[in-house]
Amino acid sequence: MADRAFRKIDVDIYDEDVLLDSELYDPDPRSADQILSDAKQKQATVRTHLSRGDTLTALSTVLDNAPYGMNVEEAKASPRTFEMWDSDLFIDIPGIVKSLDPELQDTLMKFIYKGMAMPGSNDISASVLLTWHEKLTEVAGTGCIVRVMTDRKTV
Amino acid sequence: MAAPEVYSIADVPVTAYCFDSDRQNLAVSLSSNEAQILTRSGNDWKVTDTLSEHDKLITSIDWAPKSNLIVTASQDRNAYVWQQNQDPETGKVIWKPTLVAVRINRAATAVRWSPKEDKFAVASGARTVAICNFDEENNWWVSKHLKKPIRSTVLSIDWHPNNVLLAAGSADMKARVFSAYIKDVDKRPAATVWGEKLPFNTLCGEYNSPSGGWVHSVGFSPSGNVLAFASHDSSISIVYPEGPTVITVRSFSLPYVTLTWTAEDVLVAAGHDCQPVLFQGSEAGWKAVGSLDESSTGKSAIPNPSRTGAVGRLNSSAFNTFRDADTRGTRSVSSLNSPGGSNDTELMTIHQNTITSIRPYEYASNGEVSKVSTGGVDGKLVIWSTANVGALGSRLGGMKLR
Repeated sequence: MADRAFRKIDVDIYDEDVLLDSELYDPDPRSADQILSDAKQKQATVRTHLSRGDTLTALSTVLDNAPYGMNVEEAKASPRTFEMWDSDLFIDIPGIVKSLDPELQDTLMKFIYKGMAMPGSNDISASVLLTWHEKLTEVAGTGCIVRVMTDRKTV
Repeated sequence: MAAPEVYSIADVPVTAYCFDSDRQNLAVSLSSNEAQILTRSGNDWKVTDTLSEHDKLITSIDWAPKSNLIVTASQDRNAYVWQQNQDPETGKVIWKPTLVAVRINRAATAVRWSPKEDKFAVASGARTVAICNFDEENNWWVSKHLKKPIRSTVLSIDWHPNNVLLAAGSADMKARVFSAYIKDVDKRPAATVWGEKLPFNTLCGEYNSPSGGWVHSVGFSPSGNVLAFASHDSSISIVYPEGPTVITVRSFSLPYVTLTWTAEDVLVAAGHDCQPVLFQGSEAGWKAVGSLDESSTGKSAIPNPSRTGAVGRLNSSAFNTFRDADTRGTRSVSSLNSPGGSNDTELMTIHQNTITSIRPYEYASNGEVSKVSTGGVDGKLVIWSTANVGALGSRLGGMKLR
């Protein structure tokens, strides 16, 4: 058999005009360390809000300025978003979703799809995710789903 | 309340179309390498001429209203300017093509005459916009390329009323405003909100689509002081360059692919949602006012799901078929395919598929656009009155239509 190694050569790196993934969206202006410390701080705030039963503020805090993009995996995992969704506190999902800012609704949808992409993970139950998805789609429409699909600022 | 004029001109998608100045003739590309000239005859359109010179699909057509020249751009990487001449031998009036030296190595995607009709712009997949003007000495159309900093296919272009600035929407998720100043053609333009000194290829503004979607359509407001663009993330962005203030309207429904301004504070957008939606606003904020397709709902007994706030334009019959299959084990899909059930797959909108292009059709005495035309993948051409939604505005006030 002929040598096939040449098939594995990444020819794109020789192309000066190549469009990199990182060029398709604006990176977070904060540094990676800053993002991580912000995320940890957020986690404490979220816990306080949750203990007071203020679910809307807790959810908004998680969604607002959520870490996105590459190289911030640790920060992304920091506020245990999915854990709290299953909580009994979230009885009035439609009401909460409706009071969210449209931008945060988009971010929430991103988290729902992220959850769906992690099957078998212990802290997420699919039925909970589907309930959230249904309620959110009723409020924010299919447009919200389209925005999650196009957006490269993945959470 | 005038109902929209609906013409089914083809069984195939209307890829591009343009009316002439008195709207008695129409140039269309029906997913083919030939453009057809249709002439109005009563309530119908008859093919009167065929423009055949391109080898591949014609992607865009523009008919200059004053000079009566047609320009066509195609996937064969060429553009032709068509001029109506009298054949010296037969005396018949024919359209004569002139090849344009566009010099692009990918498909042309869009073409538009400048307001003064002395230049036109050809957008292309070669990450460039070619600005073409007529070279008297050599008797042909030459081009100059806008290249930097475009990173991907340019999908849409629009001229500023001052004949110099050009907006370009691209698949690299950005809308940009360039100077397309050509020394031999243009006089020095007066300063605008987009900048003062404007040599060729000056980048006057660069705006990201809010959630990273391709920019399908760009448009300057009638004054040229505001830019709007529709992107594939189901949103419309309106840019006020001083500031700059960018206002984003997130759509409830599927993405818009085309838009046009009708007045300084009003624009109409249409796309995968199959209905033209009117937006109104100012620097303080923009919102969707309502659908121009509203008039048709009165006639149909079934409420349109996309208007009553249900999710998308979910076809309930298809949905029910799958639900029955799931819950009751019914396996028949005949309700979708049988001729009797054909009504079930009909959308509640006039257009039965994506609207690909929306253009101003008729202007009112105050200069505002009173009618717009749309062409779609369903082969339909529809002329809508923009006043219809204005009158409906109050009725729609309480409706959730985002």
